[in-house]
Amino acid sequence: MSTGLASGRRVIGRLAGANGDAGGARAAASRRERTQVFLARLAAGLGILVLWQVCAMAFAPAYIARPTGILGQLPAVGGDQAFWSAAGSTLLAVVEGLAIAIVIGTVLGLVMGRMRDIDRALRLYVDSFYAMPIVALVPLLTVWFGYTPTARLAVIVMEAILPIVFSVAEGGRTLSAEFTDVARAYRAPWWRVWGGIALPASLPYLLAGIDLAIGRALVGAVVAEFIASLNGLGYYILFNVRSFRENDAMVALAVLVVFALAVRGLVGLFVRRGLPWYRAG
Amino acid sequence: MTELDGNPMIRVDQLTKRYGERTVLSDITFDVGPSEIVSIVGPSGCGKTTLLRCVAGLTQPNGGKVSIAGTAVTEPPEGVGMVFQHFGLFPWKTVFGNVSYGLTVQGMSRRDAVPRVRQLIGMVGLEGFEQSYPHQLSGGMQQRAGLARALAIEPRVLVMDEPFASLDAQTRDLLQLEMLRILEQRPAATMFVTHSIDEAVLMGDRIVILTGHPSHVHDIVDVGIARPRGREVVDSERFRTVRDYLWTVVMKGQDEQLARASQGDGEASDRHRERTAE
Repeated sequence: MSTGLASGRRVIGRLAGANGDAGGARAAASRRERTQVFLARLAAGLGILVLWQVCAMAFAPAYIARPTGILGQLPAVGGDQAFWSAAGSTLLAVVEGLAIAIVIGTVLGLVMGRMRDIDRALRLYVDSFYAMPIVALVPLLTVWFGYTPTARLAVIVMEAILPIVFSVAEGGRTLSAEFTDVARAYRAPWWRVWGGIALPASLPYLLAGIDLAIGRALVGAVVAEFIASLNGLGYYILFNVRSFRENDAMVALAVLVVFALAVRGLVGLFVRRGLPWYRAG
Repeated sequence: MTELDGNPMIRVDQLTKRYGERTVLSDITFDVGPSEIVSIVGPSGCGKTTLLRCVAGLTQPNGGKVSIAGTAVTEPPEGVGMVFQHFGLFPWKTVFGNVSYGLTVQGMSRRDAVPRVRQLIGMVGLEGFEQSYPHQLSGGMQQRAGLARALAIEPRVLVMDEPFASLDAQTRDLLQLEMLRILEQRPAATMFVTHSIDEAVLMGDRIVILTGHPSHVHDIVDVGIARPRGREVVDSERFRTVRDYLWTVVMKGQDEQLARASQGDGEASDRHRERTAE
């Protein structure tokens, strides 16, 4: 099985113009490296869990979260309707907010990146907005939108949109003049210059922006739920911690982490599969 | 081979171009016939590319005008194919997508573009690479795609900005001859900017020599070598004569440039002030 795989890799290596044996050796080396990375991660993860468990057992009262306690609570939390309702509410809101932020942020970013006057007019305010802790606005937003999921959505969009605007604007600014020259020389209408040149050329920047936005969006969602007591994972965590059920809260936290990693993984996958030209360039 | 007596396809008439205080091109006048290849040579930084951009409508001259088929160029005109030094291929498009760009951007559907694009991809020797991305191709192959893109719009005018300058020597030799072969099959009024004197003589029916500061037309040389041309023309007496003449003129221009630079900037900027005051 493994020799078959190795010979397959050699064929690919030869097709790519590389020396077959070197290609096979490279493939074997990268397989070895992947295994090493996996083992190192596993060891570190187990080490942290053991340390946490030992410290919790030695120094902390029984209600403090610990790995065995979290594991023990998994079935109960997994069977809890309220947990799934909270998870669905938060994650849907984050996805929705990200989608809105991506659309508006891309348009705003491209306009700022491509039109110098608009960039000059807006940059100071976008910068200030970025420097400001958005969570400080949550009390205001709960007054404006009420203690509703709309307030949470507004927080998520505001958190997520800024890195996207910045990143896409950078992409628009650094757009090669040669590309726009080609478009003009071939008489592209203005909307094809924006949609056909500026947008795809900025796509890697957009994805980098989304990568940054996902963490901020989750912060916004959780804080909004804390303050507005909205159904969601943030409130689930708050409620359970206050009821001395830290292990349950930790499960919700883990869902947030897994979700963030999954979105970032999807972004990375899209860069590898959808933008082969970007990785190579 | 001069076609000045007929109706020229490209007419550059007393063109002057300034960037701020600096005059780059001054009083440039020449014509290009409908199937003529005119090489533009001159020392580096003499404004060859600027001249080409004026013809392609990418920038506007400050004085004089460019007309194509009798119509003044005020924006990128129809039927002008442009080939770029660094190819200008879109990395997110395949070879097919890049070659068909000039057609699809005008609203032609991909399906309608297929026959013409297929044929051109074949003509430049890229069959089988339709679905490849530029980063998967060598420089020479990328410029073949750039060439096919320019030809796909069935151009009346081809403007080529040092198209082979970023290729290795062997690829360059090969592509020069292929370019000549393609232009026999699909004649177009061609402006060919190059800094290589040999290339200018090999490709051009006539050669416009730019010299001085700001650049002006020093001379227009009739190469006088019949087409179709092959590699063997470089050994001809006529080729050597024209090349040696170009060498003398262009090198003298470079020397003057150096001499002026060493005399200091004060005098040069005085001259600029006088010129702009006029």
